[in-house]
Amino acid sequence: MDDLIKKSETINKLLARYGVKFGIYKNGEFKEQLFPFDPIPRIIKHDEFTYLEKGLTQRVDALNCFLADIYGPKHIVKDGIIPEEFIFSAKGFLAPCDGVTPPKNIYSHISGIDLVQSKDNNWYILEDNLRVPSGASYPMIARDLQRRGAPEAFSDNSVLDNRNYADLLKEVMDHVNTGGINVILSPGRYNAAFFEHSYLAEKTGAVLTTGKDIVCENDNLYYIDYNGRKQRVGAVYRRISDEYLDPMTFYEESVIGIPHIFEAYRKGNVALINAPGNGVADDKGIYYFVPKMIRYYLSQDAVLMNALTYLPYYEKDMRYVLDNFDKLVIKDVAEAGGYGVVFGSSLTAEKKEEFIALLKSQPRRFIAQEVIDFYDLDILDESGKSVPRKADLRAFVLSGDTTRVWPSGLTRFSRNPDSFIVNSSQGGGFKDTWVLSQ
Amino acid sequence: MGIITIDKCDHLFWLGRYTDRVHTTLKYYLKTADLMIDSDPDYYSVLCKKVGIPDIYGSSENFKKKYPFDETDPNSIISSLNRAYDNAIVMRDYIGTETMAYIQLAIDDVKTAEKSNAPIADLILVIDHILAFWGCVNDMIDDEQIRNIIKLGKGIERLDLYLSLDNPVYEVKRTYKRMKGFLIKSKLRYDESIIYTIDSMMKDSEFNYSNVKNLLRNLIQE
Repeated sequence: MDDLIKKSETINKLLARYGVKFGIYKNGEFKEQLFPFDPIPRIIKHDEFTYLEKGLTQRVDALNCFLADIYGPKHIVKDGIIPEEFIFSAKGFLAPCDGVTPPKNIYSHISGIDLVQSKDNNWYILEDNLRVPSGASYPMIARDLQRRGAPEAFSDNSVLDNRNYADLLKEVMDHVNTGGINVILSPGRYNAAFFEHSYLAEKTGAVLTTGKDIVCENDNLYYIDYNGRKQRVGAVYRRISDEYLDPMTFYEESVIGIPHIFEAYRKGNVALINAPGNGVADDKGIYYFVPKMIRYYLSQDAVLMNALTYLPYYEKDMRYVLDNFDKLVIKDVAEAGGYGVVFGSSLTAEKKEEFIALLKSQPRRFIAQEVIDFYDLDILDESGKSVPRKADLRAFVLSGDTTRVWPSGLTRFSRNPDSFIVNSSQGGGFKDTWVLSQ
Repeated sequence: MGIITIDKCDHLFWLGRYTDRVHTTLKYYLKTADLMIDSDPDYYSVLCKKVGIPDIYGSSENFKKKYPFDETDPNSIISSLNRAYDNAIVMRDYIGTETMAYIQLAIDDVKTAEKSNAPIADLILVIDHILAFWGCVNDMIDDEQIRNIIKLGKGIERLDLYLSLDNPVYEVKRTYKRMKGFLIKSKLRYDESIIYTIDSMMKDSEFNYSNVKNLLRNLIQE
């Protein structure tokens, strides 16, 4: 470990050399900046990872069953496990996806599950990201560079190699591919995660495209070369959100989507990774029901716990939320990226009153959670001193032939000592996640 | 890789052009800076005229400070390097992270040189990294067509600049010959009659640089 700390400047130089950046818009201007990297890894012991692996696999399998059910027979609603208003009022529920079965019946191929560890060492799921979860490329390239900069850290510790992420991703793409090439569809250079899109394209051998060179003809997708020759596309790992994917089906003013791609998908002629419509399953309101889904679809108890959550939609929960407002964190289900998160204790009396009025008028829009006392991880501050900071873990679960948990993850931390918000867009950094092999 | 779209051809071609623009103009800047020490303090205006950029500098000192480093000047060396980066970053899947890194390193070199107490000397590192980039293009990009499109961009840019900068005939001819080889191997569509005309002109030792430059503008077809 000392070796990693001593060599942190070298490793940061290597990260800069290889352009490990993310984009951010500030005052309407696009800027690329290095993703702050901390050399002290999060270490997950072998047994602990086995436990996480079991819980994450179970959770993602249940979420895939849920998506197949919701866009199919809807048994879980008919059986009264989830109220139908939670499904059909969810922003992520897409009516055009109803009745559409994706290739190999897989909806969430790449799931980013955010967890935190509390001070009592329990792991809690904070949220599920089943649309376009990003971040795997950062620990992947960071590991590669750390092994060059501080080889002793890896020869002295039994750390599972995480550089196989691209291989796992390629296997998933190949598994659902309907015949043709794999492409990664990016909104383009000025997207926050463009580094990741281009890096994963390089490492998986998929073609990186912004969609301008893809056409849909006779319900098939084709990639067109400079001479007008066509090559069929069998799988699209799309890094653009549902609403922009196809102007003919979704947001009609989208200029970054591919017209008619949804029709090709609906007819089973191309795999979309992840499937459109997954937002219904990672809605913060639906999160509350995931343990119930696990029981319903898999007849198992959830291995990994949710943070204790209340739905103001239920009268009993609303009463609890109002009585305990100051000790809860309230989340807007429509927001992401650390936005729309309010700590009850942080509001002035006036703001609290306003917020409660909003909560009462739109109870379905919010969830409330007990604040988890995070287990802090040490980071090096600017002076090189080790200081504790809040951190989460985004685990990546890949569903193809089987469901597999990548033996690593993106550990994000807050650089602000008083903040729980770890998102890169709000100044957070990242560190490597070691999973020990024994 | 096997399949290259019009957009990607364009990015590869301009990656080659901007990278060579940095290389060739930087070498000429170094020569100009040397001449300005004790031969001709206003020689920078000759460079501006030859390269076809507005003389916005006003003094040799200002030119020395701004031409390599000023990101707000679209004709500066750093601006050309940023354009090379813009074209490289969208082609990472074709050229590779290792190759791209040399463009990033060259940008870092310019920024370091700007703060250095010997900026002109430190700019030589930019040339080192551009040459390493070309080495990487040769060594690490397996697809011959991709290599040739980038090198075609490099060849056309260099030829254009050599013609503008009045380089000796033998250098122009040599550069033209190399560019022509990349043009054919790139498999891009081009106007054969232009090549035929330039070939004929090159047989004449007194050929007109400006005419060749004009012909080159229409060589590659959309």
